[in-house]
Amino acid sequence: MAYDDLRSFLDTLEKEGQLLRITDEVLPEPDLAAAANATGRIGENAPALHFDNVKGFTDARIAMNVHGSWANHALALGLPKNTPVKEQVEEFARRWDAFPVAPERREDAPWRENTQEGEDVDVFSVLPLFRLNDGDGGFYLDKAAVVSRDPDDPDDFGKQNVGTYRIQVIGTNRLAFQPVPMHDVAQHLRKAEEKGEDLPIAITLGNDPVMAIVAGMPMAYDQSEYEMAGALRGAPAPIATAPLTGFDVPWGSEVVIEGVIESRKRQIEGPFGEFTGHYSGGRRMPVIRVDRVSYRTNPVFESLYLGMPWTECDYLVGPNTCVPLLKQLRAEFPEVQAVNAMYTHGLMVIISTAKRYGGFAKAVGMRAMTTPHGLGYVAQVILVDEDVDPFNLPQVMWAMSAKVNPKDDVVVIPNLSVLELAPAAQPAGISSKMIIDATTPVAPDIRGNFSTPAKDLPETAEWAARLQRLIAARG
Amino acid sequence: MNHLPVECPRCAFAEISLLATSPVPGVWDVVQCGRCLYTWRTIEPARRTQRDAYPDTFKLTEADIENAIEVPAVPPLLK
Repeated sequence: MAYDDLRSFLDTLEKEGQLLRITDEVLPEPDLAAAANATGRIGENAPALHFDNVKGFTDARIAMNVHGSWANHALALGLPKNTPVKEQVEEFARRWDAFPVAPERREDAPWRENTQEGEDVDVFSVLPLFRLNDGDGGFYLDKAAVVSRDPDDPDDFGKQNVGTYRIQVIGTNRLAFQPVPMHDVAQHLRKAEEKGEDLPIAITLGNDPVMAIVAGMPMAYDQSEYEMAGALRGAPAPIATAPLTGFDVPWGSEVVIEGVIESRKRQIEGPFGEFTGHYSGGRRMPVIRVDRVSYRTNPVFESLYLGMPWTECDYLVGPNTCVPLLKQLRAEFPEVQAVNAMYTHGLMVIISTAKRYGGFAKAVGMRAMTTPHGLGYVAQVILVDEDVDPFNLPQVMWAMSAKVNPKDDVVVIPNLSVLELAPAAQPAGISSKMIIDATTPVAPDIRGNFSTPAKDLPETAEWAARLQRLIAARG
Repeated sequence: MNHLPVECPRCAFAEISLLATSPVPGVWDVVQCGRCLYTWRTIEPARRTQRDAYPDTFKLTEADIENAIEVPAVPPLLK
């Protein structure tokens, strides 16, 4: 089933036993972040958290860890909550093929209920803001779907971008904003700043669960996130027109913040405990002036804890990073079986592939590094054979231990691009990258002694499915 | 509350401004440094609010702020 807003998804999570309402009074800091941090330490099927009794606030409603488990990720896609991870990724890839699905425009967006404009804008009066990690420079909006348009082609629906970026609140109507150069909004900003113009922007908070997934998904520059949301939902994505910018924004958002990125201005921002498990910043980043806030009555503030993996961030962007790489690699190399890009936004990727000829797997690894996402992320690639499940890490470690001759199978390429946030980059934005070929050599690459492998019994796959069904039926 | 702190725990700057007060009166304020923009709630733990308890690794100097790299860099104006 497709969810049109966050609230209806929270209702489903609650019915499925995947939402924990915390009604005792908690401190805004450090309790909210610590509780969400803890969800990543209590197992793979942790619930979402909902807080409504936060010290000093009168009507705060805060949702965290909404996507922060495999069960919740499955439910977000309308799948049974016990769907195995590999099946979630395969179903995601299958639905991708329906892209593009045109969105459905609606005029009765619930965020039209309340408005602040101009000098009356005060984001602190709308949102129960709070800090996540000790060293953060302030309070962040870190799970928004941010909408911007190409200043040179503002009427192109596909080039309109919807993305998730870190946003520090630095005033009642001012925000600091991080557009990593590899991201689409950075291209929009560069085009506006080259002309000395402000870049209009719409920041939408508390969105339906598929909107959050596509906003964090590395799609092509001219592909519409709304049209992808429709494909993944199996139903058109509901959108509405933002009143100030005229941008297309999710119909079901809790809050819509509109304003401009002020041209050619940078101001200190950060640090922020990032998805890399390290702080990044402080750096001089662009700033946003907020001119209008629209919001549902009693809005739910959705936030996301991130820090040392795994956290909600990893569940949210794991499958949606695997699928674009899988599709882009298969377009030229149909031998590619599966792609696991679930570790730290795909800074490390595991690819299973059949081999066309000797040396082929290493070529697949190099291609992964030159995909649009790979240019900024893929720093390490592990290639495994077609019969190794890249999501099954013990199998991957077996391939690494048994099939790798380091002299021949580890390739290091110096001075390639990576996003500035990568802690190992030196200087920031530049890294060497590594391919580990853990596939079995094939002719004419004749090396090693691999002639007598032990294979799974022919009946094993059928038995695995049967056992999964029996376990699921047991509840 | 409105008794503003006297210095920023992160950069020791002495100009602190008020950004927000608790909807329940008198429970907390949210304040901000006028130089490094560090923002904190007055009831946060000392490691986030007191200069002497603030971790050295996160402290900033005026030079740190002025010399921080731009991300992304401001592009040249088109002619």
